[in-house]
Amino acid sequence: MSPKPLLRLTVNGDALELLVSPQQTLLDVIRDQVGLMGTKEGCTTGSCGVCTINNARGEAILSCLTPALEWDGQSITTIEGLERLGDLDAIQKSFVHYHAVQCGFCTPGVIMSAKAVLNRHPRPTDEQINDGMAGVICRCTGHIKVKEAIREAHAFAADPAAKP
Amino acid sequence: MSAKPGEFTVIGRRQPRLDGFEKVSGRAVYTDDIVLPGMLHGRILRSPHPRARIVSIDASRALALPGVKAVISSRDFPDVLFSERQPLFARDTANYIGEEVAAVAAVDAITAEEALHLIDVTWEPLPAATTLREALRNGAPRIHDWAPGNVGPTHEKDYGDPDLGFAESDLVVEDQFRTPMQHNTLTEFHVALADWSKPEKLTVWTPTQSAPMYQQNLAKGLGLTESQVRIVYNNIGGAFTGRGRPKPHHFIAALLSRRTGRPVKIRAAGDEEFIMFRGSGETQYRFRTGVTRDGRIKAIEMDITFDSGGHAEWVMILWLPAAVMNWLYHAKGSRYRGRFILTNSVPKGSHHGGIFGRISAGWMQHMTRVAEAIGMDPAEFHLLNAMDPGDTGLDGTHFASCGLKECIRAVVERSGWKQKYGKLPRYRGIGIGIGAQASGSKGAANDTSAAMVKVDGDGLVTLFTGIPDMGQGSHTVMSMIAAEVLGIEPADVRIVAGDSDVVPFDWGAFSQRGTFMTGNAVKNAAEDARKQLAAVAAQLFGVPESELRFGARRVFPASSPQKALSFAQLVGKTFNSPEGRYVMGRGFFNSPRAFGPLACSFGAQVAEVEVDPATGAVKVLKVTAAHDIGRALNPLGVEGQLDGQVFSGMSQVLYEECKTDDGQVLNPSRLEYKLPRTWELPAVEYILVETIDPYGPFGAKEVGEGPIVVTMAAIASAVANALGVGMVEEIPMTPWRVRAVLDRMPG
Repeated sequence: MSPKPLLRLTVNGDALELLVSPQQTLLDVIRDQVGLMGTKEGCTTGSCGVCTINNARGEAILSCLTPALEWDGQSITTIEGLERLGDLDAIQKSFVHYHAVQCGFCTPGVIMSAKAVLNRHPRPTDEQINDGMAGVICRCTGHIKVKEAIREAHAFAADPAAKP
Repeated sequence: MSAKPGEFTVIGRRQPRLDGFEKVSGRAVYTDDIVLPGMLHGRILRSPHPRARIVSIDASRALALPGVKAVISSRDFPDVLFSERQPLFARDTANYIGEEVAAVAAVDAITAEEALHLIDVTWEPLPAATTLREALRNGAPRIHDWAPGNVGPTHEKDYGDPDLGFAESDLVVEDQFRTPMQHNTLTEFHVALADWSKPEKLTVWTPTQSAPMYQQNLAKGLGLTESQVRIVYNNIGGAFTGRGRPKPHHFIAALLSRRTGRPVKIRAAGDEEFIMFRGSGETQYRFRTGVTRDGRIKAIEMDITFDSGGHAEWVMILWLPAAVMNWLYHAKGSRYRGRFILTNSVPKGSHHGGIFGRISAGWMQHMTRVAEAIGMDPAEFHLLNAMDPGDTGLDGTHFASCGLKECIRAVVERSGWKQKYGKLPRYRGIGIGIGAQASGSKGAANDTSAAMVKVDGDGLVTLFTGIPDMGQGSHTVMSMIAAEVLGIEPADVRIVAGDSDVVPFDWGAFSQRGTFMTGNAVKNAAEDARKQLAAVAAQLFGVPESELRFGARRVFPASSPQKALSFAQLVGKTFNSPEGRYVMGRGFFNSPRAFGPLACSFGAQVAEVEVDPATGAVKVLKVTAAHDIGRALNPLGVEGQLDGQVFSGMSQVLYEECKTDDGQVLNPSRLEYKLPRTWELPAVEYILVETIDPYGPFGAKEVGEGPIVVTMAAIASAVANALGVGMVEEIPMTPWRVRAVLDRMPG
């Protein structure tokens, strides 16, 4: 067996060097090697969106469909990267406030998809939300309060000076 | 009828869920996130044939693969039964594609998968009957010796006098309907992690709706006592009736762990999810209703044939409709005939809506047709025949509270029914449905929920409850109930749940029993704790206990609020009293009825749809829903339940169907088994009808599955209305099926 290639990957700001097999997906690496369990494994066929993370440009990526080695030298953000010492990101606060979370299993992927929408459109229209959220399924909420939380997330983007 | 101002401090508040931070931050731990030291990965070898004899199993090549720790099959555990008459591993004959034949435990999932390909099974394929039609055909192969004609268990029940009812009817209307095999589409796939390294203790981490059901079944099948089986179930990725009973992989993970002495995890891999599940099977219905010319229902008849798959696992679903069909209308009599048919396909259970959603999608179209047959507006027809508070159904279910008529009137008014029904342009439709749902239906004497409350010195409270929170928000509601009783805040009540070794008994979250049964148990436990505190406070204040008020984290005599102690101070004084009293409250709830529900929720919905005649695609424009929930303990959570059920009801009526060929599911993934996407959801309007049930905790009833039953009825009826046909006899009403209806229409 040939030695495993090296993957240099920055996860939520931490620069890591990992030995991975060619068949490992980015999701496998995030969960099994980096040990970040917030990103969930769902359908493994790219049709449910619960494995969604963000790339360096803040775009939504399906980590279950992405061979890990293609990401050498790149930087990603997972759900764990949004919060700072208990201080939630605006989209996370909005999800709690508007009850856009029920069972919570899809929530990390849904929030990372929503984050990608907000990165492009801080005040998204309904159509922009629908476009950006086309790849995720939330079985519990029927997306109704999810859309509300995304639409209103800007209200939680606090001015750092105003924080207690 | 909302709470009077000042009546409650916590109940009725729009309370965001208390586990929200955990869930949005990615910290919430689900079963598949748990990795134990020495953990192995299990995989299951499944039958590739719909029906075949197992000639031989040879695992020697698999066992020789480095990293493989165990291979087991029926040859190792011939006597382990999964259900009555059903061995865990197929013994002589496999009866469906996907039936468990053998299993592997290995150091990683890839090795386990590779080992499956090295197990040599010699098969002798047998003639199979994979659908209802094939199984009921003359000369069909007999799947089980105990089921001649492939007819499994049956249930026949008459209430009142249906024959007299039909005799007194001026008109009898009969319709047929069919629903397909449907999957519960859980976001968290089926998964079990078992540790049976010590013979007297089996621990299973798994999502479940009922830990006791899992304990009972696993204990019985594996030769343990119930409390030797510990079920750990913290965060659960949805359930939708799909996690009511353990499945073969729970047993198999346990046996692999026993064999290897190490923890073993089995998770559904890809399309395996469409084998492990126990959703609905193909079902055929015949509805027959007798009415008088002036619109009074005299007799109701329902005849249902269920495809139960390769085994008859979950017989309960066969019995339920007999009672439930009596909860909406007054009639002279009702008649139910139900039967399970064995087929060579995956064993079935039920989908979200607990079979009655699917029945309702046909039955309410039928009732609309009955109304129209006598020239009545269907909304008026429902209203004329609907139950009132204080009524008792023919099956003996008593409705101490009932807002059915209020719900019908509300949706008629808010949807503009009278301006729209019969007056919409072609291909636009409007439909109405009504429904009733048990708030927990007692099936056994010990249908009990229990709870414990521990009060600590700083005024924080710990609530021990066995109710699983699959997303419905029951833990938040239970914190609210305890907080209301003790006069503190929901955030002061920490929940300990999800571990059968720790929590008191609770049958769990099925049959919509959580809020009603567990809610009452938690209320009783909190009242017990309050009583202990009140005894001390009464002495301190020199007033009778009845004079004390608990609220806003304070305790005070009603006559002199300025003397208030904080809740924490009172707890401190109680603990530091000469007796050193430590406060722990306990409570349980069990319905005083011997059988069936103590309360039912009621609902009515109006759906408006538009059909594209070119493509047959149905767009749901608006759903107006009124639900009698007794009281909304947490209106935010109630809305969340309604949202999810409108989505799921719409999904079942318009989208969801497992396509099969020769017993094989052809669309076993989210790519091909479609659910509505964000832009397909209709506008929704909700009316919460609060009838304050005398038995419910603070008057509350269920909202867990009542609404979906009515959504399915309303949308199905609206499509039939848009097409101008009496019934669309099949769901899902996909574009091609709607096109076929249009093609058959004259002109």
